[in-house]
Amino acid sequence: MKVFENWDTTLKIPSLFLLMMSMAFIRDQHLMFLLPCAAAVLFIASGVRLELLLSRLRAPVFFLLAVSTFLILFSEGEIFYKAGPFALKSKGFILAMNTCTRVLSVITIGIVMVNTTPLSGLSVKLKRMLIPSILVDIGIMTGRYIMVIGEDYRKMKNARKLRGYVPGGSISKRFRVIVPAAATLLIRGFQQSEMVFHAMHMRGYGSDFTRNKNRSVDNGFSASGMIMFLLTVTLSVILVILEITID
Amino acid sequence: MHIPDGMLPAEVCIAGYAGTAFLTWLSVKKAQNSSEDSARVVSRASVMAAAFFVASWIHIPIPPVSVHPILAGLMGILLGWISFPAILVGLFFQAAMFGHGGFTTLGINALSMGGAALLAGAVYRLLRGKHKENMSLIPGFFAGFAGVSFAVIFTSSILVLTMPEHIDSGIELSSILAMAVAHLPLALAEGFFTALVARFLLKVKPDMLV
Repeated sequence: MKVFENWDTTLKIPSLFLLMMSMAFIRDQHLMFLLPCAAAVLFIASGVRLELLLSRLRAPVFFLLAVSTFLILFSEGEIFYKAGPFALKSKGFILAMNTCTRVLSVITIGIVMVNTTPLSGLSVKLKRMLIPSILVDIGIMTGRYIMVIGEDYRKMKNARKLRGYVPGGSISKRFRVIVPAAATLLIRGFQQSEMVFHAMHMRGYGSDFTRNKNRSVDNGFSASGMIMFLLTVTLSVILVILEITID
Repeated sequence: MHIPDGMLPAEVCIAGYAGTAFLTWLSVKKAQNSSEDSARVVSRASVMAAAFFVASWIHIPIPPVSVHPILAGLMGILLGWISFPAILVGLFFQAAMFGHGGFTTLGINALSMGGAALLAGAVYRLLRGKHKENMSLIPGFFAGFAGVSFAVIFTSSILVLTMPEHIDSGIELSSILAMAVAHLPLALAEGFFTALVARFLLKVKPDMLV
């Protein structure tokens, strides 16, 4: 959506991050309903696809299931259902519901943050947000290497298959295949990194010229972006104040 | 091993970020003080951060489940101090692209796995000096094993200790122990994996080891 595009990265990332932190601060069950409401409004306004959200929730859902089971079984308090050795506790059920609500809300905001942030000029903006430049540089190059190493790994797997390798067998047999493959990938990656290192030097990496060039990126904030920033920060502050006062 | 967003209280997340900021600053300082060129440090760290990310695609069967290498031990061996910021970046990409871990818990996850890499690197260098005749297998194994063990104990302790107060303390301790024991096969597998990769690299490209 237009408003998310106009929301400058240097304002969007800190304000959404603040909102996620304030949601993580909430423990009172009376305030829990506010979290999915805020997350849903932001998610709908962002225009991020629902399929994307669902695909990103796959990994944390297993974790949530394990934690919820633990909470329901091992909490103190009255038992509301007993089946053999398992006693389900009502207190644990409420805790599990609260945890799931909070986790899913915070994850949704994180997905909105990542998927509405344009990559162009991101490195300069991150450096402007006081992220150490070495981290930003590692991040940019990692993004590139993930594709390269991932592609190399896929090619190796295909080559193994074409040579007649059938997955399976003993653990030691699989280790004999995986270890040289992983080590070769690393060696190849390091060799490529050496080449990139020389190319970086040739282009004047770290020199005053490149540092000054980075400063000349547009710095203007749009009115809608500022409004979104203020709204998000206000909501974060309200959530924290409510949590403290209700306690 | 990755704690997702919203699972930990904000205070713990902030403390995690504070610890991560300190260790990142220290790692960068150590890297800058070393004789190695900063561009080379950046490029090596990027390759390993990408490998850390791609490692989650490699499945090693530990019956009845399948696990993937964490590479904390290997990163500690290959990168030394700079393994911490490399893992931080790798975790950021995993959170952004797959939803593994999270942004509010990035600091705690980085302390867990980055701390594991630093410990593994230290273990490797310590043992390597005492096993000159077998330069890679024993130190490599213990580095990989220590890396996973540290990460598991740290993560499960954080998780269990930040659980609501309505959980029985005896069960909390048993849970930490149970999680540590459940990850023992992974720690052993990572130990063997690190040892064998370190031996391979020592034979083929020894200058890669710090």
